[in-house]
Amino acid sequence: MAERTISDRTATSAALSPIALWSFLAALAALLFAWRVGMQWPAAPPGDGIDLDSVILVYSTLPRAAVAVLAGAVLGLSGLLLQHVLRNPLAEPSTLGISAGAQLAMTIASLYAPLLMERSQGLVAFAGGIAAVLLVLALTWRRGLEPVSIVLAGMMVALTASSVSAALILANGEYLFSLFIWGGGSLVQQDWEPTIALTIRLAAGVVAALMLLRPLTILGLDDASARGLGVARHSSRFLIIALAVWMATSVAAEVGVIGFVGLAAPALATLSGARTLRQKLIAAPLIGAVLLWLTDGLVQLAAGSGGERIPTGAGTALLGGPLLLWLLPRLRLFEWPHLGSNGTAPRKASRPWLIILLLLALALVAAIVALVVGRGPDGWSIAGGDLLTDLAAWRAPRIGVAAAAGAMLAAAGVVIQRVTGNPLASPEVLGVGTGAGAGLTAVLMVSATASLGWQLAGSALGSLAALIAMLALAAQAKFGAERLLLAGIAMSALCSAAITATIAMGHAQSYILLRWLSGSTGQASALDAGLALACLLPLTLPLFLAARWLDILPLGSDSARGLGVPVAGGRLMLIIVAALLTALAAMVVGPLSFVGLIAPHLARLVGFSHARVHLAGAMLLGALLMIVSDWLSRMAAFPYELPAGLFASLLGGPYLVYLLAKGVPRQG
Amino acid sequence: MIHLPNRRQVLALAAAALLPPVAARAAAMRVAAIDWGMLETLLALGIEPVAATELIQFRKIAVEPAVPQSATDLGLRGAPNYELLRIVAPDLIVISNFYEYQRPMLERIAPVFAQTVYEAGVPPYALAEAATLALGEKLGRQTEAKRYVDETAVEITQLGATLPPSPARVFVISLGDSRHFRAFGRDSIFGDVLTRLGLVNAWTDETSYSAAAPVGLEALARVPEASILIVSPLPADVGRSLPTNALWNALPAVRQGRVAVLDPVNHFGCLPSARRFARLATAALAGQSHG
Repeated sequence: MAERTISDRTATSAALSPIALWSFLAALAALLFAWRVGMQWPAAPPGDGIDLDSVILVYSTLPRAAVAVLAGAVLGLSGLLLQHVLRNPLAEPSTLGISAGAQLAMTIASLYAPLLMERSQGLVAFAGGIAAVLLVLALTWRRGLEPVSIVLAGMMVALTASSVSAALILANGEYLFSLFIWGGGSLVQQDWEPTIALTIRLAAGVVAALMLLRPLTILGLDDASARGLGVARHSSRFLIIALAVWMATSVAAEVGVIGFVGLAAPALATLSGARTLRQKLIAAPLIGAVLLWLTDGLVQLAAGSGGERIPTGAGTALLGGPLLLWLLPRLRLFEWPHLGSNGTAPRKASRPWLIILLLLALALVAAIVALVVGRGPDGWSIAGGDLLTDLAAWRAPRIGVAAAAGAMLAAAGVVIQRVTGNPLASPEVLGVGTGAGAGLTAVLMVSATASLGWQLAGSALGSLAALIAMLALAAQAKFGAERLLLAGIAMSALCSAAITATIAMGHAQSYILLRWLSGSTGQASALDAGLALACLLPLTLPLFLAARWLDILPLGSDSARGLGVPVAGGRLMLIIVAALLTALAAMVVGPLSFVGLIAPHLARLVGFSHARVHLAGAMLLGALLMIVSDWLSRMAAFPYELPAGLFASLLGGPYLVYLLAKGVPRQG
Repeated sequence: MIHLPNRRQVLALAAAALLPPVAARAAAMRVAAIDWGMLETLLALGIEPVAATELIQFRKIAVEPAVPQSATDLGLRGAPNYELLRIVAPDLIVISNFYEYQRPMLERIAPVFAQTVYEAGVPPYALAEAATLALGEKLGRQTEAKRYVDETAVEITQLGATLPPSPARVFVISLGDSRHFRAFGRDSIFGDVLTRLGLVNAWTDETSYSAAAPVGLEALARVPEASILIVSPLPADVGRSLPTNALWNALPAVRQGRVAVLDPVNHFGCLPSARRFARLATAALAGQSHG
């Protein structure tokens, strides 16, 4: 309670003169727009036939600004409706998997039903988006649509969907240029059609929202009160969700993925002092419009003659990420029961070390199978004798690297989950993996031919910086699970935007980063494998020795101090080790694996509760998961090799979502 | 003393048993190609590669020269299947500078021969000629290589002579979607061939090699008098959206029918692509001046 009043007060002081601030930003956006118009103003008076300047002004410059304003407003409204109806401050088109679902549907349609794509792109996108959101809702239904579960399920659905899209594109040997543009989000316009389409969506959305104001207000209350007031909760909820998805996927179909606006606009509206739902319904779309208009203006300002350097979709993340990180401690969130507190009580294994031995045996068997079983020009084969010796030279390094990376990420995951006392924390969720990528990007910007050592140092520093920033934020405002997650999403988006912008420059570095992003183990040499395995021992050994800290730290600082643990120093040491592990693993498998989230959970589920066995079990499970993923990545589309990280998320993601769905219903 | 076959020979035997018989000449080198430009050059020299990358896609969007069905598909260019390549066991692997990072892996299989054709800011035609001659030298096909280089130059000159004498400005683009395109500048094979045909490339910036940061169609208005050649394949939504795109329809080239869609050509090819592009472009431009 006390915490809540404090955040209330900070919110009020932050809302000093919000209207002045937004007016200033809107004026800035208008200024940038005026500058564009001035540049494009026809030199000659129009009249004699061709006047290309005025054509561009009328069909490109003006509709682009209109679409920026409209798309921002539509996304702000869509985000507000989703957040309100789900009572979840983290809900928005991308955290619910709507954008990724739409992208997957459009990928499938482009590849297998181009005619459908040609006829009604918007319908395809809507189908994908609504399917994703329905999946997320179905999975979290038994947990009472708890916000953190929804976001976790949404992220998993999003990750799995984008993995499948990537696999489809790669396995078909196509690099769908258009989907790349779409994924980046571009506001380039050449007629008024998208403007008209989005105006209709916005108008429909506003009218519907105003008509549903009363049920909407009640839906913002908890279920019991809503039932008491006689609202048909589920049907109105679904109606509003469908409306929000329709609006969001229309934007996606017209201009591509524009992240962050849907998340940030409603939050900023609340921060700026919008209290009632009616105020928010006005403020959120306006703020969304200003945000996107301003971002697009800046993107155009930075553009050269050869094209735009940063896709607008990445630009919103560059602008919105820091904004969100800044406002997080000032944001008031619903207090929900902790995920850990009402999750399935972990059962304790009676003989954990026996299970560890069993897992070790399983990992070894998997490694041997991966070593001997493969596909060749003649179909499946089991290699033996000379052929095996020869192929082993190719397969063994990959298996070694995959296993080492899996174990490292799992160990980092165990440490981060225990240090933060947050069951959803992991190197991937907290943006530590993408932080490594941002560090790598920084090194490559200085020198495209940076040695492996420098690249490693860069990514280690990047992941360390990301992790420390996360924890500093967490400590500052006594973060709950939601805030830390939201900060992680912001950090990931920020780092990814930096990486995307660098890739978009199209230099030699771009190819290194693209390869890194796809997380392929294909280039692993015996040296890499040796290095990774050699680093594994000295980095994880201290963790085993510090197992007592790991057991005690989740109990909270006071208990830990009482039990004689050097809290600050111990935390820092553990965090540095975790960051190093993440950086090393990210170097070889890329940022998108989710092994660091999944393996610790699986280990807990098996019954490893003490830190030492938890760590050992998670590392073995992580290694096992990555060995299997690497093997699948070689076999699934043979001879086309797919990224291993993709299969790790395909294998682990659904299982974690299943675990969530299985959890006991929320009390009350 | 009994001669025991070594590992490589055993593998080669295994591969020979597994693969359909290759109509290879006796003593000819078994060559694998990672780079598409090198692949088409090999074919132009009359060498049938034993393996190459992304053949499904090559047959679809590079079209010629035809790749024999006996060639093994090695998977993605960026991540070729080294195991499979090891089983195929070629005598030589040809790559370009784009794939230098794969060299340590490839050299464990066979010697690697690399040629540079594409460099930012450098017109690639002369480099493609040099690469063709170098490849001919390496594979003992000097005569064929010399002949191919000469024939290509002659064909391009002859095709250029069929065009009207006043040099026309031309954009060569590929469409990303119905709003964005990628332009081929002077450092692309299409841009270089345009100049050799006696035309003027309307795109004066350099070519963007990455898939990102494409340009909005309004940039085509910078040179109103230019014709536009679109290299296939076209993305799915173009058929529906482009005809209704107001800005596109306002472009002088579109209003005056100076736009043509060419059949697919390898974007980063060598001399065979240069020839194919010269033929397709000349036919399209000739069609415009008559119609």
